Amino acid sequence: MTSTDSARPATTARSGFDWIIFLSKWGTLISLGLLIMLFSVGRPEVFMTVRNMLNILNQVSILGMIAFGLTICLVVGLYDLSIGAMATFGGYFAARFLMELGIENGLVVVTVLLLVMALAAVIGMVNGALISYLGISAIVETLAMSFVVTGVILGVSGGRTVYATEIPDAFTIIGQGKIAGIPNPVLILLLLALLLWVFLEHTQTGRNMYALGGNREAARLSGISFSRYALLAMGISGACAALGGLVAGANLGAGRPQGVGEVYLLNAFVAVFIGASTLKPGKFHILGTAVGVLLIGVINNGLSVMGVPTFWQYIVQGGILILALISASLNAVRRA
Amino acid sequence: MTENAPGSGIDEVLTIRHLTKQFPGTLALNDVSFGVRKGEIHALLGENGAGKSTLIKCVCGAYAATSGEILIDGKPVAIAGPADASAAGIAVVHQHMNLVPTMSVAENIHLGEKLPRRAGLLDWSKIHRRAKEVMDRVGADIPTTTLVSELRPEQHAMISIARAVSTDARIIILDEPTNALLPHEVERLFVQMRALAGQGHSFLYVSHRLAEVFEIADCATVLRDGQHTGTFRRENMSHDGIVGAIVGHDGAVAERRNKSHARPGMIMQVEGLSGRRAREVEFDLAAGEILGLAGLPGSGADETMNLLFGRANRGAGRIKIQGREVKMRDPSDAIAAGIAYVPKNRLEEAVFHADSVRSNVTLPSLGKYLRDPFLRLVHRRKETAAAMDVTRQMNVRMAGIEASIDDLSGGNQQKVVLGRWLKTGAQVYLLNCPTAAVDVGAKKEIYELIDDLARDGKGVVFASTELDEYSLVCDRVLVFAAGRIKGELRGDDVTERNIMTLAAGGAIAA
Repeated sequence: MTSTDSARPATTARSGFDWIIFLSKWGTLISLGLLIMLFSVGRPEVFMTVRNMLNILNQVSILGMIAFGLTICLVVGLYDLSIGAMATFGGYFAARFLMELGIENGLVVVTVLLLVMALAAVIGMVNGALISYLGISAIVETLAMSFVVTGVILGVSGGRTVYATEIPDAFTIIGQGKIAGIPNPVLILLLLALLLWVFLEHTQTGRNMYALGGNREAARLSGISFSRYALLAMGISGACAALGGLVAGANLGAGRPQGVGEVYLLNAFVAVFIGASTLKPGKFHILGTAVGVLLIGVINNGLSVMGVPTFWQYIVQGGILILALISASLNAVRRA
Repeated sequence: MTENAPGSGIDEVLTIRHLTKQFPGTLALNDVSFGVRKGEIHALLGENGAGKSTLIKCVCGAYAATSGEILIDGKPVAIAGPADASAAGIAVVHQHMNLVPTMSVAENIHLGEKLPRRAGLLDWSKIHRRAKEVMDRVGADIPTTTLVSELRPEQHAMISIARAVSTDARIIILDEPTNALLPHEVERLFVQMRALAGQGHSFLYVSHRLAEVFEIADCATVLRDGQHTGTFRRENMSHDGIVGAIVGHDGAVAERRNKSHARPGMIMQVEGLSGRRAREVEFDLAAGEILGLAGLPGSGADETMNLLFGRANRGAGRIKIQGREVKMRDPSDAIAAGIAYVPKNRLEEAVFHADSVRSNVTLPSLGKYLRDPFLRLVHRRKETAAAMDVTRQMNVRMAGIEASIDDLSGGNQQKVVLGRWLKTGAQVYLLNCPTAAVDVGAKKEIYELIDDLARDGKGVVFASTELDEYSLVCDRVLVFAAGRIKGELRGDDVTERNIMTLAAGGAIAA
């Protein structure tokens, strides 16, 4: 039977309020609002203060940078599991290079940091090249690359941490300073969010990335080459992860060769997937990721402010992600 | 033509009596009756949408018939599901064989059955022994330890048939088993089918390839628009008779476009183009001309379409657009050279789901609405204006330009897919089944849009699975068979019957 036209149910004809569509769009934002209300009522004097709000933003800024980079990869339809190792890479090598150079000049420090990010971008592009030209699974390839990167850091460092006394202050200021009362990491995060939002939503490159992630074959038939964009997306993801890592290092005042990035890997995925069930169900986007990152920050901060045992943070976070995924899939199942 | 009275033959194993299947809006099967005898290879023929698949699905229990009955050995049976079908001795071998390529032949033969065990563990020697017995029964000499992925396509078909035989199926339904096969592979499959028929197995065999039907079938039943239009026993089979039953005697050449828009000057020249199946395809396309590429599945017509767009790997040949040779490594090269393409499967290859009509319609021409060449910022107002312009021109019915593409009907989606090329400045349009899964009203609109393209001086290459469309749309049709252009039809010669005759490997009687 070729005529399927008339068989299509009229989606507009349904009467009454559509809860599934409503929840799949607004569910995560509503949970965010409810949690903020709950914590504000529970500990108004501690939670709902400007200081604590800035504190939450500061706490999630590193996670945010890494998650925004990951968003780009997932838009193209690629998983990047190397972001944890890349964050450690960024933090360690930024500290290490600055220690070796020993120059206290702000401009030199920024140049070195940009160089480290460029190096991470190159590694990311190697990932992209292997995945797209050889057709290797992105999950497995990036996992393998994360081992290689971890090994290189351990080898170069000999397991030794670079300490604050060995690093120029211009570096630690990036992680610990403030401008107009706002912590530097928060400013960097906001700048990155704006940049990547414009990139994804308002440039042809970003739009082509969405096309590839939406339907790779249709994109190819529209003249969009997958490999070019895979390289670019993985490069951006690598650079963002390294940025997160070096800000973490600056914040810590140390270049640690291990135990930096791993913490962020899974949380970044949680944040991005919560984001894909926000406002535009089924679509990865920067605004959604921002909501996901905030949700994680509010849960962790609020529960500890309330004095709730840490294990609850995991349970609540996981529970909200599952609910978000359920509402998204209910919506998808009905569309199919 | 002899109508064999259904149910009259004592040796009929499967009898279909007055079978009717009503879907909402369409009558898929309308009072169909015929019978399959013991040890007979019975072909089931008809165009796409004629009701062949619906009939098979009723017989194997996937659909419940609205009325009518199915008899096995003359006794009515109720087939409510696949389990009932296999209990009645009916097995279906689907087009895609349903095999697991990473498993061995023995494992595939036992797929879905309880495997023999010894002391709780799988008894591999017994599994292979049993598989060997089954393969011997169908006369296939394939080691049972071989992985299915290492086998040839016709061996896949044999394994599927063997699996059917192993369940003691007496009626084996083959749904286009030869689609993926090359001629010599088909030959080997037929030899084994004949041997099994000799042992008393009956085959109901769906095919598009008439030449094969003449070679193997003892009997052929033809459906058209859900109706039984003829059953031919071997001694009464004639090419003209069967083609007539398939395409209909009236052959109403309704609203054929009389006026060609072709004008002097070649817009595309193809020389010696070869791919996996297509061999040395040559043709010229004039500006404003609508050229049809017709042929049965696997004939090379479809592949030629893909070769012209750089989608399939080209073995040899040259493609010139407006006199300039195009190096085609990828669709992006074709697009840069001014070629537009509408793929066969809209939902899988063309639509960007969950995205707006706007972004679906502007994607390939997005580069024209940029604010700057470096950052590539898109000028949203210009983009929206262009999208509005195209959708108005194509008469796309939608809630608004930002509506989700998934909320549009198939016909309107297809107009979006076609319309996305209008602003790219493409000179050649390759349209592969542009009216597939589109309702009648939208079909007519799409025909008109194709005509508009030609009037505009664009070159159009058209293909369809519905043969009657060629006579409605095309100025000229190239008919493919076995990878080569078998013949060319022009003007009033472009008829369903002529295309079918050429495509099935025959020659048109002068």
